[in-house]
Amino acid sequence: MKRLLSVAVTACLLATVGACGNSDDSSDGPITLSFLSYNYGTPDVGGEGTQQLIDAFEKSHPDITIAPQGVPVADTLTRVRSRTAAGDPPDVAQIGWSKVAAAYRGLPLTPVQDIPTADEWRSATAGLSQPLLRAVEHEGKVAAMPYTLSTPTLFYNADLFRKAGLDPAKPPATIAEAQRAGLALVRIGASGVYFDIAGASKSDFLTQSVVAANGGSVATPDGRVTFDQPAAVEALTAVQQLTTSGAQPAVAEADAIAAFKAGKLGALVTSTALLAGLEEAANGHFELRTGGMPGFAGKPVRTTFSGAGLVVLAKDDAHKQAAWEFIKFLTSAEGYTIITSKIGYLPLRPDLVKDPRYLGPYFAKDPRIGPALDQLETVRPYTFFDGPQADRAVATLQDDAVAPIVLRGADPASTLAEVAAQVRSMTGR
Amino acid sequence: MRDRLYLVPFGAAMLIWVYGPLVATVVISFLTWDLSSGPQEFAGAANYRALLGDADFGTAAGQTVLYAAGLLVTSIVLPLYLAVALWRRPGRAAFVYRCLLFVPMVLAPVATAISWQFVLNPLVGILGFRNWLGDPSTALATIVVITSGKLIALNTLLLSAALTSVDGDTVEAARIDGASEGRITRRIVVPQVGRTLVLLGMLTVVYAGQWSFTNIAVLTQGGPSHSTDNVYYRLYTYGFQYFDLGGASAGSVLVVCALAIPLAVGAVVRRG
Repeated sequence: MKRLLSVAVTACLLATVGACGNSDDSSDGPITLSFLSYNYGTPDVGGEGTQQLIDAFEKSHPDITIAPQGVPVADTLTRVRSRTAAGDPPDVAQIGWSKVAAAYRGLPLTPVQDIPTADEWRSATAGLSQPLLRAVEHEGKVAAMPYTLSTPTLFYNADLFRKAGLDPAKPPATIAEAQRAGLALVRIGASGVYFDIAGASKSDFLTQSVVAANGGSVATPDGRVTFDQPAAVEALTAVQQLTTSGAQPAVAEADAIAAFKAGKLGALVTSTALLAGLEEAANGHFELRTGGMPGFAGKPVRTTFSGAGLVVLAKDDAHKQAAWEFIKFLTSAEGYTIITSKIGYLPLRPDLVKDPRYLGPYFAKDPRIGPALDQLETVRPYTFFDGPQADRAVATLQDDAVAPIVLRGADPASTLAEVAAQVRSMTGR
Repeated sequence: MRDRLYLVPFGAAMLIWVYGPLVATVVISFLTWDLSSGPQEFAGAANYRALLGDADFGTAAGQTVLYAAGLLVTSIVLPLYLAVALWRRPGRAAFVYRCLLFVPMVLAPVATAISWQFVLNPLVGILGFRNWLGDPSTALATIVVITSGKLIALNTLLLSAALTSVDGDTVEAARIDGASEGRITRRIVVPQVGRTLVLLGMLTVVYAGQWSFTNIAVLTQGGPSHSTDNVYYRLYTYGFQYFDLGGASAGSVLVVCALAIPLAVGAVVRRG
């Protein structure tokens, strides 16, 4: 019966979708490597930077041709899964970190660390941020290679700070200070400060970071739900008080970002990935500065990270080896010099920052990515919920708990308890 | 017989693009499948049971009806008013107004939605004196109004076309008999475009959820607090965000049945 159903479904899908055919099955001679990326092909710095990476790789590896394919960021995992189901997975795919757990579960991945020899792996990753490499391990090894990563960053409008009587050299270091700064900004007619934790599911890394800064967690490393514990309740209560005090506008993420770009919002805590876009908006209009994520008095700020990893779905050894060569290049000193200077993501090789051959000149001119980079030293693993309903659990946490608490005044303790019960029933943990 | 051969390309296209996927959807609705190459297990009616017990799906279904009701007002009543107003004053100005009304039809849906995001921004938008999309009590109505832009344009045009067939002699005779303009519109004009109104009403009921999909996806993602969710956005979420293809397919089958029943009843009544 099962087999019959599988055959029926596959037949229907093939009839309606059609198989794409593999790009290259030869195992000797030149190899074509298909690369699915949500940065590729976009009409912005992400698209330009990715094209530059591909060009530089092909120049240094004439025997490997990259066949890139763009995809909207929200559809990345869907595209990978549907192509895999049709028997034509991309060889390498850039997948958002919040979806990586689902990729581990539902895709025939080859862990990146398993492709090279142990010595080659050690030498290739020697200069990468070791705390980060440990933070991204899955079952004791790096299965998805950290690629374009970001941490929570405080972006602030130094001109508005001065106008409000605040010292732009001393950005708020705690949420309580952010509240005072926000109220001062509101008094001069600005829109205060905004913590971008109430957005749809991709904001959950900011939720995790704020909760972690108060010593709590959203879930344990083995997936047990903990966001109804006192530390998490306190953390979200503090962000809620920003709103109830009037220091934070009760608006959606997109509205806050647009207001910041228009020079109306004083400070915005969001992903480093927005740096390039915010710099462009600020250029010639206001002085943009950055700081680390504000936390809680007397507690160390330990954030998690967002962004994307690279996974390998190549079927044969030749393509797997080519995929490793490509990944090794993308995460090399040359690769990160392009990634940081052109796209604006963090250089995961901290030594490049002072190296005159790589990012030294860039950082000397614009040190604004520095605070986000410093946070890599104490970065915590991104926490996943467990089981096949993990994605739904993240959406439930963000839409049914964080947004109502932070933006609409819902009671933090009872809301988190209620939503935690729902998520436990989804994940069984 | 040879005449029917002309139907083959169309029939084949329908088979490949409509009925093939429909059969696949029905089959998948009885499976547990996460769109990976992993095993597809037979789930019996579990997907249907889970869906019928899912409060979010129930909310989305109820709100789909609200979308249809809201869009019926904006896409039938308003276009009728506009079309009649233009019909009663024929000339170059009416032509210009018709062209201007049609502009929203040729704009890209996502670009339109993003433009509305700027207009409605509570911090910097020109209509930002209220948090229209961030308040659960006004968000759905706001999406209805935004979605109406395109529908008003198209429906005004269709009703204008229908009004060209209104018998001028009858209207003239009514005027000579002393009937007021309002009465002429109610008693003579509207009944003569009745068929077009019924068609547009039926299309609105069937497509309301789909027409609002882009605006929901771009502007609210079903929020705040699920207040702008509808079944189509919910099915997309189940299928392509949670990768529950069985659940999404079961929901699709229920939606098809829910739409097919009133259409079938309508067809039977018309034949009767």
